[in-house]
Order: sequence, then C-alpha cells, then structure tokens
Amino acid sequence: MNRFKLVVFLVAISMILAACGPAATEAPAAPAATEAPATEAPTEAPVADEGCAPNCEYADLVVGFLQTGSEGGWRAANTASFKETAEQLGLTLKFYDSQNDLAKQVAGFQQFIEDDEVNVIVMSPLEVTGWDQVLEDAQAAGKIVILSDRRIDGNEDKYVTFIGADFVEEGRKAGTEMCKLLEGSESKNVWELQGNVGAAPAIDRGTGFRETAEECGIVVTKTQTANWSVSEGKQVTEAWLKETKDVQGIFGQNDEMAFGAIEALKEAGLVPAEDVKIISVDATAGAFQAMLDGTLNVTVECNPLLAPQVYEAALAAMNGETLPKWIPSEESVFFMDDPNLQAVADGRKY
Amino acid sequence: MKKFKLNLSRNALSESKLLFPIIVLMLILLFDFIFIPGFFKIENRDGNLYGSVIDIMRNGSIVSLLAIGMTLVIATGGVDLSVGAVMAISASVAGILMNPSALKNEVFFVTDPTYTFQPLWVVILVPLIVAIICGIWNGMLVAFMRIQPMVATLILMIAGRGIAQLITNGLRVQITYRPFSLIGQGWFILPVSLYIVFVMLLITWAITRRTAIGMFIESVGINDRSSFFSGISEKNIKLMAYTFCGFCAGIAGLVACSNIKTSDANNIGLYTELDAILAVVIGGTSMAGGRFSLVASVIGALVMQAVTQTMYAVGVPAFALTAIKAVVVIIVILLFSDQVRNVIRGLGTQKNEV
Repeated sequence: MNRFKLVVFLVAISMILAACGPAATEAPAAPAATEAPATEAPTEAPVADEGCAPNCEYADLVVGFLQTGSEGGWRAANTASFKETAEQLGLTLKFYDSQNDLAKQVAGFQQFIEDDEVNVIVMSPLEVTGWDQVLEDAQAAGKIVILSDRRIDGNEDKYVTFIGADFVEEGRKAGTEMCKLLEGSESKNVWELQGNVGAAPAIDRGTGFRETAEECGIVVTKTQTANWSVSEGKQVTEAWLKETKDVQGIFGQNDEMAFGAIEALKEAGLVPAEDVKIISVDATAGAFQAMLDGTLNVTVECNPLLAPQVYEAALAAMNGETLPKWIPSEESVFFMDDPNLQAVADGRKY
Repeated sequence: MKKFKLNLSRNALSESKLLFPIIVLMLILLFDFIFIPGFFKIENRDGNLYGSVIDIMRNGSIVSLLAIGMTLVIATGGVDLSVGAVMAISASVAGILMNPSALKNEVFFVTDPTYTFQPLWVVILVPLIVAIICGIWNGMLVAFMRIQPMVATLILMIAGRGIAQLITNGLRVQITYRPFSLIGQGWFILPVSLYIVFVMLLITWAITRRTAIGMFIESVGINDRSSFFSGISEKNIKLMAYTFCGFCAGIAGLVACSNIKTSDANNIGLYTELDAILAVVIGGTSMAGGRFSLVASVIGALVMQAVTQTMYAVGVPAFALTAIKAVVVIIVILLFSDQVRNVIRGLGTQKNEV
C-alpha cells in the first residue's frame, strides 16, 4: 500500500513539474480601465467601429496582444512594456502567450476575434505566412490588427500597420559608428559575428553594416554564425584569434555574441574596446554594464519598448486615421564615453 | 601466420572502442596540420599554455563532462535527455547565489570582482545538490516507475528549462565573482576546466572499473531481468547511473556559466544533450546498452569539438557548418556498423590471401 502511495505522489509531482515548464503565463492583464462598450453597430467602414470614433480615448481600447513566447531579456522587456504602458494609459489589455507555438497563436487569434470586448488585436507573428484566413476573419469581425516587432508576407490591406525595428538601419548605424572608431587606423579589418543563419535580423543587420562600413574602407575579413549566444561568440572569436590577431574591430549582431568576443579577446591578451573596437546591437542591460566596464565601445539600440507606439497607432486607427504600413520603432545609439552613461543605464528597463 | 592474423583481428575487435574514435580524431588533426598553418602552435603566456589544440579540449570539456555521465546511463540501456536542462538549472542556481538581483526582477550592475551573495563553497555545492536531485528524479522514474527512459527524462528536459527560467525570472544573470569564474576561465598551465574533466574521468573510471559497479552496469544494460535474477539490484544500479549523470550535468552547468560569466537560463546547455549522446555514440557505446568506455566517450566529445574548431579556422560559411559536421558524424557512425566493418575486413583478408 505504501508503494501505491509513493506512485500516486510521484505522478502528482511529475504532473506539476510538467505543467510548470514553459508555462502558460496568462496574466489576466492590467486591471483598471473601464471596459469598452461592446456595441456591434454594423457599418461598412473597414475600421472597427466602437461608437466612439473619431473621439476615442485610450480608455475605450481593449487590446488583445498575442506575444510569441518567452525567449530572454528582450522579449521579457517587450511583454513588460505592453503590460505597464496599458496600465499607465488606462486601457484594457488581454495578454495571450503563444509559447512559440504557431497553432496556439492562431487559436489565440481566433479567440480574440470572437471576443466581443476586444477591438484591437496586436500580434508578434511567429511565422511570416499563413495568416490570410484569420486576417480575413478579423476584418469581417471589424477588428483592428496591428503587427508588432515581426512582420508577415503580403496581406498589407488586412492589417493597419507594422511597428518594429528596421534591422538594416541598425546595421547601417553600426557601420557608421565603426567607421568613426576606426578613423585613422591603417588597416580596417573587421570580424562579424552573425545571428542564426537565415534569420531576418541577421541578414538585414549584416547587409546594413556592409553598406556604411565599406564606404570608409572597412573590410569584413571574417564572418561566422554564433547563433546569438555568448559561448559560441567566444568560441568563434577564440578560433579566429589563434589564426591571426590582425583585427581592428568586431561587430556583434547582438550583445551576447559581442560579450563572448570580449571574453575571448581578454584571454588572448588583447584589450577589448582599445586594441579591438567592439560594436553590438540590442543595448540590453549587459551591454551597458560592459560599456561602464570599458570593454564595449558602442551599442545600437533595438528597442523592445514598443507598446507606446503600438497603442498610439491603435488609437489613431480607431479614430479612422490612415497609417503608414510600416512605422519604424524609435531607436538610438549609446557610446562608451558618454559622460551620462551611468544615469542612462540606471533609467533602462531591460 | 593464420593464427597471428586471428589474434590481430580479435585484438582489433576488443580495442576497437578506443581505436576508431582515436583514428577519427587523428584524421581531423592531420587535416588541420596540413591545411591550417599554425594550428598546433602553442603559446606560452605567463607560464600558461594557449593554442587551438588546447581550445579544443577546453571547449570540449562541457560535452566531455556530460558524456561521462551519459555513458553510464546509456550503458544501462537508457538515455538522459534532460542533461541540458539540468545544466541550465545548476547554472541558474549558482547565478542567483552570487547575484540575487534577478530574484527581485531587476538587473543591477556589479563590477566588483569580489562581490558575492554566498561564499564560494555554497555557490558550488548547492547547484550540485540540486542537479543530483534532478538526477534522482530521473532515476526514480526510470528504475522504480518503469517509465521508458526517453519519456521519463523528456519531462525534465522540457520542464527543467522552465524551472531555470523561473529561478532567474527569465533574466540573464551576470557573474562577476572572480573565484567562481576561475572554474571556466582560469588557467593553471592548462585550463582549469581540463583538470575538472580529468578528475571526473579518473573518479568515474575508478568507481566503475576498480569495483564491480561497471560490470553491474554493463550487465543491466545487456539484460536487466537476468541481472536481477543473478542478484544484481538493477533498480539501484539504474538509479545510481541517472543520479551520477545529473551530478555531471551540474558540474557542466557550472563550467558553462563561469566560462561566459553569465548564467543564461535560455541558452546554457541548449541542445547539448544531443551533443553528449552523439559523443557517447562516436565513442562506440551502443545505444542498446552494455559495454561502455568512458575514455572513448570523452574522445568522442573531442572529435566533435575538433570538427567545430576546424570549421571555424577554415572559415566554412555559416550555412554549411551543420551539414559538414553531419557528414563527419555519419562517417564515424558508419565505421561502427558491423556491415561496413565486415566489408572492410573482407577486403583486407582477400588482399592478404592474394
């Protein structure tokens, strides 16, 4: 009998363990806010009509947000931005975690379409294709659809706008900064640590970087994928350093890979940010720390705090305004020698 | 003459566990020697040795550690898919013990290399205990609940990374504590992580080969029922193997996070369970269980790291990287196939007879 109890106990434990895996964090969104009146006045306008246009306020918005799932610091900051901004503006947010599963995301989308309260659907799509049907359904139900952070192929008439980073521009900024850092240097050999093979940010950042970097004679002598990760960034740089130390700059397509390169340079007896200039993209907390330590020269921001822009666009769409199909997110560049760096770093949320 | 040849082939057969992985490793190194100038150059910097060959051993140390534990599990006829997740858990626990800021869901900047929340021995001991508990959990499910190993360890593989993310609130924890970072970054003539692998290998070898435990493991792997009837407590042997595998994964997690001075629940140990299984297989241990060789598994891990290192040095474009690795692995695995060996052996004897 004891054994039976043990079995029951262990099964229970295993179920609990299994359940708290990449768990569903379906936070019931921000409280506050008056719920929008769920009137369904049939109109021929393509834009949702909640009876308040053209004088809708944030309080009239009920936003259904389909997040991709948890990945790391960037995504966490992105989610937090949506939740906190909703609270500040007094709008209602219904949060749905797709757990990186396309089927779940589509199901969540349909759930929002059928939800009479929801008038705006914001989505970070997991895939670029396969959205035709749900987008049509959303249009038929009179919901406003806004894409955030990731884009989809085609269907431009079925969503209001896409708000997200311009990866090419990020690359261009990095290239320009690298030019400034290497000004006056005799040889301008730069190594590049790429993201995942085929990922849009990896391709676009690489293209943008070359565009501006080549103008001042920078040669990208080595390029390899390090899969966005610290350890691979370190390994790749280590292997290259064994072969040659003729390198003046390293471009990490995200912060983590640049950190790996920094560690590798230190071990090889080179001084990062002095002997070898380092630029990364993302501007996460770690990058600020590295800059404060004096090991990273420049980081180009990839802003996860998209919520203010998204909500603004949602409100504008509710009020019947026409928006451009792509609103690039606001992004800046941070420098190691900025005297206010500590203050900037303290004010950062991610 | 005939007798001599028979002896030779029998020798080759019994030694083949070590022979084939070594041959493959040698071939890769030969390739490096010919095509990559300066690959074998070893630099002496303040008494410490640096070089590509040392990089192979050092970067291979994580998979080597996992492979040591995995060998025992696979030898019992099981498999442990959760080692990568256990690495992440162990790294997260260690990270939190040194820099608890993530618990409050905030990131604060520490640059002081002596700052730590708990003393070093706690930082090392607690994650290892947690890893051992994870191992015991797997072992209980497999040995006492009779759940198939792949299913049983799959639970922790999926849940474990989630647990690690819960521990760190999904944040990346920076490690600045200098004594801890020595585990993965320190050098004492050779990298410290190499000594860790060596000591673990030695201990495991002593436990399995100087006592009867190794034989028990092999016997359980070959046939657990008959082992049970001949008086071997197969459940305890399995439990021990999984527990030990968890312990090894815990150490690997510490080495991994100290090497990059970051405890990253999302990426540490991601997909390394597959590398570890592959290393064991390259080392010649059958997935069906039975005979095993620890040294061969570690060499298997080095083979894979050597391939990776070579690819980086040659400058293979990123998109071709995985495909080329796969080709090398296929060749090695084919060498272990009895069919292929028979063909090779057949060719050899025919030539000799002619």
